[in-house]
Amino acid sequence: MKKVKKVTIKGTVKGKRVPSRLLEEEIQEAVEKGARHLHIIANGQHGIGGRIWPRGETIKITVEGPVGQRLGSMGMPGTEILIKGSVSDDVGWINCGAKITVLGDVTNGAHNAAAQGRLYVQGGGGARCDTMTKHNPKHDPPESWYFRDVGDTFAEFKAGGVAVVCGVNPRNPENILGYRPCVGMVSGVIYFRGPIKGYSEADVRLLELSDQDWQWLTANMKPYLKAIDRSEFYEELTRSMDDWKKLVPYTAQERAKRRPFKMSIREFRTGIWEKGVGEGGIFAEYLTHPLTVLPYITTGADRRFRPVWNNMKYAPPCEYGCPSEIPTQKRARFIREGKLKEALELVLQYSPLPATVCGEICPNLCMESCTRTRLDKPVNIKELGRASIDLKAPEPRPDTGRKIAVIGGGPGGLSAAWHLRLEGHSVDLYEAEKKLGGKLEYCIPRGRLPQEILSRELKRIAEIGINIHTGVKVDRKKFNDIYRSHDAVVVACGAHKPRKLDVPGVRDMVSAYDFLRDINTGRLPDLKDKKVVIIGAGNVGMDVAAQAFHCGAKEVTAVDVQKPAAFGKELEIAESLGTKILWPRFTEKYVRKERRIYFTDGTSLEADLAVVAIGDMPSTDFLPPAVHTHKNGWIQADEAGFTSDAKIFAVGDVTSLGLVTHAIGQGKKAAKAVHAQLSGRSYYMPAPRPVVPYEKIKTAYYDLRKKGPFRPEAEAERCLSCAVCRDCHMCEAICYYGAISRNAFEDGSYEYVVDDESCIGCGFCAGICPCGIWEMVENI
Amino acid sequence: MEPATRLDNNHELTLKDFPYIVRWRDDRCKRCGRCTAVCPMFAIEPAVIVQRVLRSEGSLPEPKAVRRVVTIIKQSTDIGKYCTGCATCSLVCPNDAIEPEYNPRHKFIFHKNKGGHPYRRGGRRNSPGLSTLDRLRFTRISMLTDPALDAGRHEFRIRTYLGRVLPAEELPLKVADGKLELDRKSGKFIPPVREIYPVMIGSMSIGALSPNMWEGLAMGVTYLNEVEGMPVVMCSGEGGMPRRLLKSRFIKYFIPQIASGYFGWDEIVRAIPEMIEDPCAIEIKYGQGAKPGDGGLLMAHKVLKLIAEIRGVPMGVDLPSPPTHQTKYSIEEAVAKMIQSMYMAWGFRVPVYPKISGSRTAKAVLNNLVRNPYAAALSIDGDDGGTGAAYNVSMDSMGHPIASNLRECYLDLVAQGKQNELPLIAAGGAGKRGNLAANAAALFMLGASAVSIGKYIMQAAAGCFGDEYNRCNVCNLGRCPRGITTQDPRLYRRLDPDVVAERVVEVFKSLDVELKKIFAPMGRSTELPIGMSDGISADDPAIAERLKISYVC
Repeated sequence: MKKVKKVTIKGTVKGKRVPSRLLEEEIQEAVEKGARHLHIIANGQHGIGGRIWPRGETIKITVEGPVGQRLGSMGMPGTEILIKGSVSDDVGWINCGAKITVLGDVTNGAHNAAAQGRLYVQGGGGARCDTMTKHNPKHDPPESWYFRDVGDTFAEFKAGGVAVVCGVNPRNPENILGYRPCVGMVSGVIYFRGPIKGYSEADVRLLELSDQDWQWLTANMKPYLKAIDRSEFYEELTRSMDDWKKLVPYTAQERAKRRPFKMSIREFRTGIWEKGVGEGGIFAEYLTHPLTVLPYITTGADRRFRPVWNNMKYAPPCEYGCPSEIPTQKRARFIREGKLKEALELVLQYSPLPATVCGEICPNLCMESCTRTRLDKPVNIKELGRASIDLKAPEPRPDTGRKIAVIGGGPGGLSAAWHLRLEGHSVDLYEAEKKLGGKLEYCIPRGRLPQEILSRELKRIAEIGINIHTGVKVDRKKFNDIYRSHDAVVVACGAHKPRKLDVPGVRDMVSAYDFLRDINTGRLPDLKDKKVVIIGAGNVGMDVAAQAFHCGAKEVTAVDVQKPAAFGKELEIAESLGTKILWPRFTEKYVRKERRIYFTDGTSLEADLAVVAIGDMPSTDFLPPAVHTHKNGWIQADEAGFTSDAKIFAVGDVTSLGLVTHAIGQGKKAAKAVHAQLSGRSYYMPAPRPVVPYEKIKTAYYDLRKKGPFRPEAEAERCLSCAVCRDCHMCEAICYYGAISRNAFEDGSYEYVVDDESCIGCGFCAGICPCGIWEMVENI
Repeated sequence: MEPATRLDNNHELTLKDFPYIVRWRDDRCKRCGRCTAVCPMFAIEPAVIVQRVLRSEGSLPEPKAVRRVVTIIKQSTDIGKYCTGCATCSLVCPNDAIEPEYNPRHKFIFHKNKGGHPYRRGGRRNSPGLSTLDRLRFTRISMLTDPALDAGRHEFRIRTYLGRVLPAEELPLKVADGKLELDRKSGKFIPPVREIYPVMIGSMSIGALSPNMWEGLAMGVTYLNEVEGMPVVMCSGEGGMPRRLLKSRFIKYFIPQIASGYFGWDEIVRAIPEMIEDPCAIEIKYGQGAKPGDGGLLMAHKVLKLIAEIRGVPMGVDLPSPPTHQTKYSIEEAVAKMIQSMYMAWGFRVPVYPKISGSRTAKAVLNNLVRNPYAAALSIDGDDGGTGAAYNVSMDSMGHPIASNLRECYLDLVAQGKQNELPLIAAGGAGKRGNLAANAAALFMLGASAVSIGKYIMQAAAGCFGDEYNRCNVCNLGRCPRGITTQDPRLYRRLDPDVVAERVVEVFKSLDVELKKIFAPMGRSTELPIGMSDGISADDPAIAERLKISYVC
């Protein structure tokens, strides 16, 4: 047997401490030279016994005396170190396989970062022992055995290896693993025996030992106890598996699966929150809705908006724009349904003069408003009016026995008389002139209104049985008679008193009314080669101009104080004939002798004839004082013709100047008001009906169609049916949820309805409805 | 009646004038209408257009025009129906067919004053750039110079004090039987002090917030206290508090606020005899960072049963909170009498502090408070704070940034040796870009004892869409698509209070970790590093000079 070479190395030489560096050199040199058993008497040197590389042999090192930190650090396999006493910090630091036995205590950081090897401790450990230990799969894991207890923060970041804490005679009998062990421990195991006070619950769990654990522990306990000279404790320490527990880290997989909440919010709500504040939470007592969560897309009562099929809620622009309120879209629908006759006849319910007014002289505000204008050109409502010339008079309702007087046979009076008669009332119509028609008959140039058309329509009016009294001038006395003998009086006497122009020579001027009336009654003035000046360049002025040319005038000039108000056909005709329009011109005087009219700006014009066309005023002095009038005689009347005398109504120019269609519309409204009053119904006031916004009518559906002769059928096709359902089924087809359906009724009518439980309130029906019927309203 | 012939696009705005342009993809859309059903602004609507294609399919030119009417999703050019970019449409679209896109060259505020009404909105200052707080870094890292701490391993005590802290020599102490004890007969006022988590949820009222949002926050705060042991507190905002909460033991986690409208205070006062715990503190609001010097108005249409009951007002009336308290005439009088009254309400057991908007006059207020032994703290709300409704001009142009305002107030306290006595609460922009922990820690180191958050928690806990590119920001209209700032049950029921609460817990737990990740490397674990300004630096010399901290580059 080969003799083992023993060497003793001293840490103190001649009373002087050997530096750690020199002691290390000495140890390395001794091993190099074959020493296999070293006895070191240390004096606080650092890192004794580490890094010894005996190439398969065993080096035994016995250490006595005070040792420095990191004894056995970076210890290699084959190195066996026995310390006869306690050691300083970090014993066995990065142990790579050394077997270190400490016959005393280890202080802080024992076996820190140990990767292999073994640490046997006869006493206890300080703080942070067994931290950062590793297990390299190529080698056995490190083991650390502590006989008594260990200090705080034990096994932090432990990443492998076994630690055994036997808990014999601990310094802290209440807690043998110290404060908060195992923080950040990810691998390895800690066997311990004795009481502890908590551990890092986030990292490790406390378990009973398995049979396998027990087998390992009891098998390895014996050599440990022998090494630290405590074999007598074997019985006690291996008496029962139940004395022992182990701490094992959660695996990475387990940690990933772990819920971050100690308590789920639901548990918290029922277990804590609602116990404290009451069921349903802090607001439950104020809320009436279910305390549930709603999705973003909702149906039924939970929708923010819901669609409503507002058929005919709004007025179509044509109807709204027409002062006589003629519903052209209804006519178009009749025509589309093949009911041309009904379509044309419908107009007589609104105006007795469709061919005269709509067809000839009306500026056709309906067409101006027509939505179709936004696409190509308006539906030709004028021609629809013309097409009504041959209609038969409708049958009036049965006689009511009521008597109503209408004073004035112009458009307003005719309209009132027509509608009242159709309701079955007996109507006396008084006209001062010989013929009916008012300004239609007497003022509008025949060129603009062929007399044939007017007389045919006047004939139709007469056919329904109105008692017409022409040539009857109504003065105050006559009015009183009429008032007494009738249930109601509609005053529609118009305005034909020229407005006064307060300038010298006004007496030598002619009023437009007289000028036009004379011509229409056959008293044509001879204006051959004459020069005519018209003061006032409105539409009446333009009619005067046209008539003056027809009477042979050489030159016609219309002047105005402001931008002329003339428009439409009147202006067009007058200009085409050569009328000059000058403005601004303020008339200073007319000197007949000089045949010259002077203006305030110093200019003047030659004028054989001067016509004043600055508007007319009514003559209402036949009325009793109970009827309030404005200055200049205009009767104060509301929209429905009511005056301050409940029995007297007023319509047309006698209330304010307007278009013929205005007078017709007022006549109709007044007739309704009279009828309502006589029927004992409440005060009649036409319900305001908002016009459908143009944006709601989807012109995209329709192709441009500008050409082609007038045909009622073609015009009906062009009508966009604004605000009136055309029953096209687009809404039904677009709804993604199939929420819209059509209900047909026995009488042929129909409606579109929404299934609230399918509808999400997206607005597609409203967005694409060609006629603007569907509307989204707040879902309250 | 307007004639149908019209000017076409005259005076119409182009989509390029709008802040968000809706990108809609015809090829993906199935026309299910989910987007239009949820759009809060009606900025998109279904429409029809006609397409006309000219075809020639033979071997010779043979024109054939084909018309096709198709349905589309159209964006409105009505300024009243502008797209706010909230992207609720994208959220609900099953086909990813729609998305608003920010238009950096918009001219929105040139036009958003129709009817002569200036633009009003919710949110905060529309300034998406870096704030001063974002330009501060934590530069004093302890490695070998100080004990290095480990955020994960070391235990931290992230707490602060709300209440007046008396200096040791002023404490009415006496020695009895060799022990130090309080001399209760001294007659000296010992201010109540609360130990709280240094980041608190700032004042957002019931009314400004929906019941689901408010309860979610309240539940989250209570969970943090009861389950996690984190003493996070929340200020009520000026809108009263529900009876059930007032009478519960959880009231100790809440700070009722009184402001110039005094709404809900008769309800609170009536509840005092039945309260089983004291509230954490009382906040007196004098100003708000988002709209300094301006008041609030809860529109009548929002004053439904819930709000009416809690605020103690009839339903359907406008509720104005004036810009100023109506019976205060001077700083001394105003602050003293309000603080005194509020202390009295709870028998001098509850700390009372005022909140002001960031201002160059903040120091004057502070010095007044220093002399008032009852003042428990001063809360300063900087100009990056949020609001449910304010004029855009107030939000964008009024007010003082919190960083320098807080700093000069803190240094003023230091000069008087009072920095540990009167806590400063900083608010207004903490977490504006999402980095709450860094902003809050910077504020602590500039001198704040606590930081108050509002907008951040709405964004983080409830997914508030609002941002500084003016996204969404329609809190004032009651149309909040998330259900956060609306009283319409159809909208606020989209918000699950339990989820809000869970997010509050997650936010604070993660904030806690992040704060540790800041404090640990700086070697602080036991006390909040209030005023530890040697720990921070600015990347801009002017900022560094103004804040009296170091400059790094």
